[in-house]
Amino acid sequence: MSDAGSHTASDIELAAATQATVDKLVPLGGVVKTFKDMVSVTVPKEHIVEAVSVAKESGFAMISDVFGIDYLTYPGHQGKRFTVAYNMRNPDGNGRIFIRVDVDEGESLPTITGLFKAANFMEREVYDMFGVVFEGHPDLRKLLTPEDFDGHPHRKDFPLGETPTLFNEGRFLDPAAFRAGLVGADPGLTGWKGGAAKGARSEQDFGQGAGMHGKESGKP
Amino acid sequence: MSARDLGHAATVTREEQHGEFETRYMRINVGPQHPSTHGVLRLVVDLDGEEIVGIKPQIGYLHTGFEKTMENRTYQQGVTYANRMDYLHGFAHDLAYVLSVEKLMDARVPERAQRIRVALNELNRIASHLVFIGTGLLDMGALTPFFYTMREREMLLDIFELVCGVRMNFGYFRVGGLYRDVPDEFFPAVDQFLEMFPKMIVQYERLFAKNDIFVNRLKNVGVLSRETALDWGLTGPSLRASGVPLDFRKAAPYGGYEDYDFDVPTYDAGDALSRMLIRVDEMRESMKIVRQAVDRMEPGPIRDPDRRISLPPRSELEDSMEAVIFHFKLVTEGFHPPRGEVYVATESARGELGYYIVSDGGSMPYRVKVRVPSLINLQSLEPACLGGLFADMIVNIASLDPIMGDVDK
Repeated sequence: MSDAGSHTASDIELAAATQATVDKLVPLGGVVKTFKDMVSVTVPKEHIVEAVSVAKESGFAMISDVFGIDYLTYPGHQGKRFTVAYNMRNPDGNGRIFIRVDVDEGESLPTITGLFKAANFMEREVYDMFGVVFEGHPDLRKLLTPEDFDGHPHRKDFPLGETPTLFNEGRFLDPAAFRAGLVGADPGLTGWKGGAAKGARSEQDFGQGAGMHGKESGKP
Repeated sequence: MSARDLGHAATVTREEQHGEFETRYMRINVGPQHPSTHGVLRLVVDLDGEEIVGIKPQIGYLHTGFEKTMENRTYQQGVTYANRMDYLHGFAHDLAYVLSVEKLMDARVPERAQRIRVALNELNRIASHLVFIGTGLLDMGALTPFFYTMREREMLLDIFELVCGVRMNFGYFRVGGLYRDVPDEFFPAVDQFLEMFPKMIVQYERLFAKNDIFVNRLKNVGVLSRETALDWGLTGPSLRASGVPLDFRKAAPYGGYEDYDFDVPTYDAGDALSRMLIRVDEMRESMKIVRQAVDRMEPGPIRDPDRRISLPPRSELEDSMEAVIFHFKLVTEGFHPPRGEVYVATESARGELGYYIVSDGGSMPYRVKVRVPSLINLQSLEPACLGGLFADMIVNIASLDPIMGDVDK
């Protein structure tokens, strides 16, 4: 957990199974934090596969989720920018542990798809949303965004609205031009010149004799 | 990496065409616009004759960035987005979201509000399973059950409309309680439904569960053993059909579920038939919970009286300056949960559903991560389909019950 130390008084009693797992993770360099009834252990990057494997063998045999958090704009945050968290639970459903690892931009993580097949989509989603590369992943492609879409939308510096959405190969969608196109002020992307529904004409078109004899015939 | 390296191309590559003459597998593309894919699911399937040797789901056609949107709305506004992900079981998303925020805020939800939440959530689970059964059988060519299940679902949607004014995208739960109390007509409507519905379940069972054609079509199709299901992260009724009795309503009760007496049905076969039949059993259990919740409902408040979370009652606004200030602050900027990170796992009609919320002390969540069941369950399509017939793929999709809004977020 980041600097959220102010509330992480570890005075709650951990369940026996959780405590046993935590005891095995601490020698790997694990830092334990608890908040409400949630236990999270931050381990160094080089021990992450081992840590997940230890947790799996000591009872937390199912992986619920792998997700990323970008702490770029978190107030008072120090240390590496991203956190990847592994949400693990036991098959009974009543025990849960979060194993966390901090990574910086450009750093990669080893994959855990060798331990859990379910991690396939989860790691692909983290890669898609945060750009964290998982080495050794069998099929590391974007999961949810279009394949020609540039950027990682869940990063905190990813622009929100009113900014062009970039696609690779030079295509981009400019919201201002798009909206201008919708009200007819600018042809924009739609190429629409404005005006009412199909078949309607401007006032000029309804002048006397318009369209019959050209412009001249409209004069008295 | 180009699209071709990434396997997006639905045709064989040039190397395969010219380097190696023999054409062993046929790669075909199913969807995204296909009536039996329950939305916009695209599958790239490698076929050896009729047998499936490779299957890759291509998803994201409905990706709308709900998580990012919720990070830029106040906590209370997030409820509006939550239920739009899984549009068939919206109350589950509402409940999971408000439970996480309530855990962050240490909110105390009144008992009546909890009972109403549980009753609505279970009624919604029945509605979701009815769609599952109807459309699932529709995919297999059985048209009749669809009309039967839709008829009963209509009754449920009428109840939801009675309670919160809309039929699908509810937004009825609030952090700390509910938007308003249920109307008096709610109870007779639920009674009527609970009285009528057991007969309907018998009717469904006569239609398909005891129908030899149906049973033989689904038996031993898409078998997921206990180990496979656990390895691929399957949750929900589909996992319980593989013999794992994991139900978060029982295993880690939340939102008052510990008060109710119900069973967790399981099947051992792990095939498509079990995944179909277990939903029928679950509807019976849900009815039990609704009955208990409605019977035990006592009059009382439906919102946490804590002024940090709940709007003051309308009557106080006219003579209390403080109430006006709280009202103004809550409406304009919302409440500020303390810093921290929470997660509550709940059981939706599809599996484990939870919201991981990171708070930085502001009035908007710093990060919202939804653990959606459909996305993770969809991976199990691969072990279920591999080695099976192409015609069974449709059955497998239907029996895993993915909702594409839930998958793509």
